[in-house]
Amino acid sequence: MHRKAGIPFMKNVLLQTEALSKSFSNGGVLQHVLKNIDLQLYEGDFTVIMGASGAGKSTLLYALSGMDTPSLGKITFGKEIISELNSDDLAVFRRRSCGFVFQQIYLIDGMSVMDNVLAAGLLVNRDKKVLVRRAEELLLAVDIPEEAWKKFPAQLSGGEAQRVGIVRALINSPRILFADEPTGALNSKTGLDVLDTLSRFNGQGQSVVMVTHDMRSARRGNRILYLRDGAVLGECDLGTYVHGDRGRHEKLSAFLEEMGW
Amino acid sequence: MSKYFLIAASNLRRAKGQTTAIVALIVLASAMLNLWMMLSMDYKRNFDRYHEKLNAEHVTLALSSRSEELMDFVAETLEKDERTMEFIMEDALCIVGSFAYNEGEVNTEFVILEKETALNRVIGRIEIVEEGICTGGVYLPMLYGMDGNISPGDRIEINIGSNTLEYTVCGFFNSIMAGSHNCSMSALLLTEDLYEELEEKGYAPASTLVSVRIRESGESEDFEAMLKNTVSSRFPEVRTQSNSYTMVSASRYISQMICSGVVSAMAFFVTVIALVVIASNVIQDIQENMRSLGALKAIGYRSGQIIGALLLQFSGVAVLASLAGIGVSYCLFPTVNTMMISQTGIPYEIHFLPVPFGLTVCAIGGTVTLAVWLSARRIRRIDPVIALRHGVSTHNFKRNHVPLGETWMPLHLALAMKTTLSGVKQNVTVCITMLVLSLVVVFSGLMVENVIVNMDPFINLIVGETADSCINVDAAAEAEFLRMMETEDSVEKVYLYHSEEVTHGDGDGIVLIATMSEDFSKVNNQDVCFQGRFPRYDNEVALAAKYAGEKNLKIGDEITLRAQGQGQKYLICGFTQISSNLGKDCLLTREGYARMGTPENLSYYVNLEPGTDIEVFHERISSRLGRDVNATINVRSTIDGSSAVYVSLMKILVAVVLVLAGAVVVFVLYLLVRTMLNSKTGDYGIMKALGYTTGGLILQMAVSFMPAVILSCGVGLALCAGIINPLTALFLHGIGIVKCTFIVPVDFIAVTGVGLVSFTFGTACLLSLKIRKISPVTLLSGE
Repeated sequence: MHRKAGIPFMKNVLLQTEALSKSFSNGGVLQHVLKNIDLQLYEGDFTVIMGASGAGKSTLLYALSGMDTPSLGKITFGKEIISELNSDDLAVFRRRSCGFVFQQIYLIDGMSVMDNVLAAGLLVNRDKKVLVRRAEELLLAVDIPEEAWKKFPAQLSGGEAQRVGIVRALINSPRILFADEPTGALNSKTGLDVLDTLSRFNGQGQSVVMVTHDMRSARRGNRILYLRDGAVLGECDLGTYVHGDRGRHEKLSAFLEEMGW
Repeated sequence: MSKYFLIAASNLRRAKGQTTAIVALIVLASAMLNLWMMLSMDYKRNFDRYHEKLNAEHVTLALSSRSEELMDFVAETLEKDERTMEFIMEDALCIVGSFAYNEGEVNTEFVILEKETALNRVIGRIEIVEEGICTGGVYLPMLYGMDGNISPGDRIEINIGSNTLEYTVCGFFNSIMAGSHNCSMSALLLTEDLYEELEEKGYAPASTLVSVRIRESGESEDFEAMLKNTVSSRFPEVRTQSNSYTMVSASRYISQMICSGVVSAMAFFVTVIALVVIASNVIQDIQENMRSLGALKAIGYRSGQIIGALLLQFSGVAVLASLAGIGVSYCLFPTVNTMMISQTGIPYEIHFLPVPFGLTVCAIGGTVTLAVWLSARRIRRIDPVIALRHGVSTHNFKRNHVPLGETWMPLHLALAMKTTLSGVKQNVTVCITMLVLSLVVVFSGLMVENVIVNMDPFINLIVGETADSCINVDAAAEAEFLRMMETEDSVEKVYLYHSEEVTHGDGDGIVLIATMSEDFSKVNNQDVCFQGRFPRYDNEVALAAKYAGEKNLKIGDEITLRAQGQGQKYLICGFTQISSNLGKDCLLTREGYARMGTPENLSYYVNLEPGTDIEVFHERISSRLGRDVNATINVRSTIDGSSAVYVSLMKILVAVVLVLAGAVVVFVLYLLVRTMLNSKTGDYGIMKALGYTTGGLILQMAVSFMPAVILSCGVGLALCAGIINPLTALFLHGIGIVKCTFIVPVDFIAVTGVGLVSFTFGTACLLSLKIRKISPVTLLSGE
C-alpha cells in the first residue's frame, strides 16, 4: 500500500533534495526541524505534504520554494542548485519558476485585484498587453468577474480572495505552484472552490506542491508525503484525482493511519 | 495615573527608534532655542554689566585742542546740564589712522592715551586682559587679539596721517566705548615714553578727551548732539569726534544680532519640523495600533485616558529631550562665545541663565503637548469594533492609484508612485520639511554669494557706499586734485562723496551725517535710495528711512537742516537705507550743502582699474599733492579688515545651518521610513515571496519620497529665491534696512537643491536597508 520515497518511472524530476536539513537556534538550543531529506518532486504531480503540527511541513515547503535556505544539503531545480543562490538570485528564481498560495492569502491591501496579479506578472513579463490579457483570462477562469477586478482585497470574500491569490501565483506560468494550507482560512464551501481550482489547473499540467493537514484537501493530490519529526516517514500514490472517487479516501485514510496520524 | 504610565511605557517600548529620532529633533530644536535666547536676552545685557563695572561713559567727545578756554567752556556746559552725573577731561592724541588686521586694515579715529593715565581713569576704566613681557609699546583693544593674528610681542605698524609708527604690542585691553573700530573711535594705549615721544613729534594733534556719564543712558544721543553742537558753535575750528552709549551698544552687537537671528530662525524651523513629525507620528501610531486601541477601549479605557497616555509619553519625552538640548547648548556656548567675543570685543562670562532655560522647556513642552493633543483627538471618534478590525471597515472604497495595467511607468516606479499617492501624511511631512530646508538653502546661498564670496552687496547694504579708494583733500586743492585724476590712467571713476555733520530740528537738534555728491548717478550703490529718488536740486534731501520712520517724516515733507550756524529748508525727495550712525543719515547735493556752509576739505571716492595697486596709487597722489592730501583710505583693505569677522561668522553659520539641514533630513526620513517599514512589513514580505529583490524594494521606498521631495524642493527653492530679499529686509528691519538687493545665486541654489534631493534619496536608500531583514519566511504562520 505504501513505500518509501523513491523514483517512479516515466516522470521528469522537477525538483530534488539531497540530505536537506534545516535547524533553528531557539534560546541557544539547536532544533533540527528537517533532517537529511532526500526527495524528488515530479513534473505534473499534485504533491501533498502532510504531517502533524510541528513536523516541518511548511519549513520543507519554504525550503523547496527558495523562500528559505537550508542549513545543510542541496536543492536542485532542473539543473540549477538553488540552495547555493543568494537572496536576490533566489528572488529571481521564485518570480520565474514558482507560484505561491498562502493560507492567509496575503494579497496586498493597497492594490486592486488586477494590480495584485500584475504586480507579480510584471516582474517577469514586460509585455503589458499580453500580461493583462492573461490575467483577465485567469481571473475569469477562477470565476472572478470583471466588476471585481478593480476592487480591493478587503472588498472580496475569503474564497474570492484566495482564488485571486491562485491567479497571482499562476500569472507567470510557474513550473511549480506551492500552496501552504490554501483552505486553512476558508469555510467549507469556499475551501472546496479553491481546491477545485487547484485540481483544475493540475489537470492542465500544472505541478502543485501543497502542505495541508486536512484530509479533504489532501485527497486532491496524486502523491502524498508524510512528515514526522523533520523526516519523510512515508509516501502514498493516490493516482490521478477523480471527483467522487470514494476509494481515494479509504486509501488515504489507511495510509495516514499507518503513519500514525 | 499608573494607567497612563502603563500605556505610555508600553508605547515607548514599542517605538524605540521613532522615539530616538524625535528626541534627536527636540534636542536640536531646544539647543538652538536656548542658545538663541541666551544670545538675545543676556548677551547684550553683558554690555550694560561691563558698562557699569568699568564705570564707562555715556558720551565721549574727542576735541582737537587742549586750550584752557575750550576746556573751561566744556566743563561749564556739562556742569550746567542737569543730565550730567560726572565727567572727566584728559589729554589724548586723536587722529585718523590705520593698521593691518585680518588681511585688511583697520581704519578709524584713534584716541591715543598714555597707558597709566588710561588705567587710572575714574570714568571709562580700561582693564588689561592680556599682557606680554614688554617695557615699551602699544596696547590694543582686545578685539584685535582674538583671532590670533596679533599677539603680545609682535611688532605692528600704525599709520597716522602720512607717518608710519612701529611699536611692539604689549597686550590687549577692554574698553567699552572705545574698544572697537565700529565705535567711531578706537583707543590705543602707549607706554609713557612712547606717548611722550609721539606727542613731541607732533604727528597727531594734541587733543582733549571728554568722558561724560549721564543720569539716563537713553538720553545719550541727545546729550551727545547737544554737547557737540554747543562746542562746535563756540569753537568751529575745533575738530570733534564723538560717540554715545546708544550708538556703541548697538554697533558692537550687530554680529550677535545676526547670529542670534539666524539661530532663532533655525530654532523655529527645526521646532516646526519636529512638531509636524510628532503630529504625523501620532496619527500614524494611532492608525498602526488601531487594534490595540480597540482592545484598550473594549476593556474599559476611556478615550481621555488613552489621549492622556499619549500626552504623557510625548510631552515627557519632549521635556526630557529639551533638558538634554539645553545641556547641549551649554556645551556649544563656549565655542559660540569665543566667536561672539571676537565680534563684540567685550568679554562674556558663561553662567546659567534660568529664564531662557524655563522658556525653552515651556515652549518645547507646550508646543509638543498641543501638537499631540490636536493629532490625538481623533481617538475619541474611534469605534472599538472597527478598531479591533484593525481600523478597516468591511467596505473600503479607496482609490487605486496608478493602475499597473494602464500606466506607462516601469513597474518599480509605478509601485513607488502608488505608495506616494496613498501616503498623504508622509507627503505633508516631507513637503513641510523640504520647504523649510529650501529656505535654509536659499539663505545659505545668499550668504555665500553676498558675504563669503563677494562682500560688496553686504557692505553696500550695511555701509551704503564703497569704492576702491577714498581721498580727502583740502578744498583749496580740489581743482588740482581733479585735474590729476583726469590724467591718471588707472582711475575709472571719481566722484565727490563727502560727509559733514548737520543738525536737524530746533534747539540742540539731532546730529545727522550728511553726505554730499555733485551727481548721485555716479555713486556705485544705486540701490541705497529705495524709495523716491536721490537729491537732484539744492533744496532736496534724501533721508535714511530709519530716521524718517522715527520722526514720522514722509516724502514731500519739508525739514530744516543746520550747519555752520546756518539753517535751510529741504524737501524730502527720497528714503535711503543707510544704517550707519544708527540711521541718522541724509544725502544732499553739493549745492544743497553749500546753502548752509562750505566744507574745509572734501572726500572723493575713486574706482580704479582692476589690478591697480591702491597703496601705490595713494603714494603717487600724496607725493604730487603733498600736504593738501589729508587722508587716503584704502577702502578695499579697510572693508577686508573689518569684514573678515563677518565673513568668518557667516562661514560658520552657513556650515552649521547646512549640517543641521542634513541632520534634519536624516531624522525626518528615519521616522518616515521607520513608520513605513512598520506599516508595510507584510507587503514587503509578500513582494519578496513573489520574487521582488531587496534592491528593488529599497529603490521603491526611496523613490516613493521623491515626488514630494522634488516638488517641494523645487517650489520651495523658487519661492524662497523670490522672497528671500524681502524676508532678509524684514529680518534686518531693526537696523534700518528696508529693501535688500542681494544677488540670489541661482547656480548655487540649483546645485544645492540637487544636492539636497540627492542627499535625501541617498539617505532614504540607506535608511531603507532594513528591508533586507524582512524575509518572506516571516509570512510563515506556524506549522
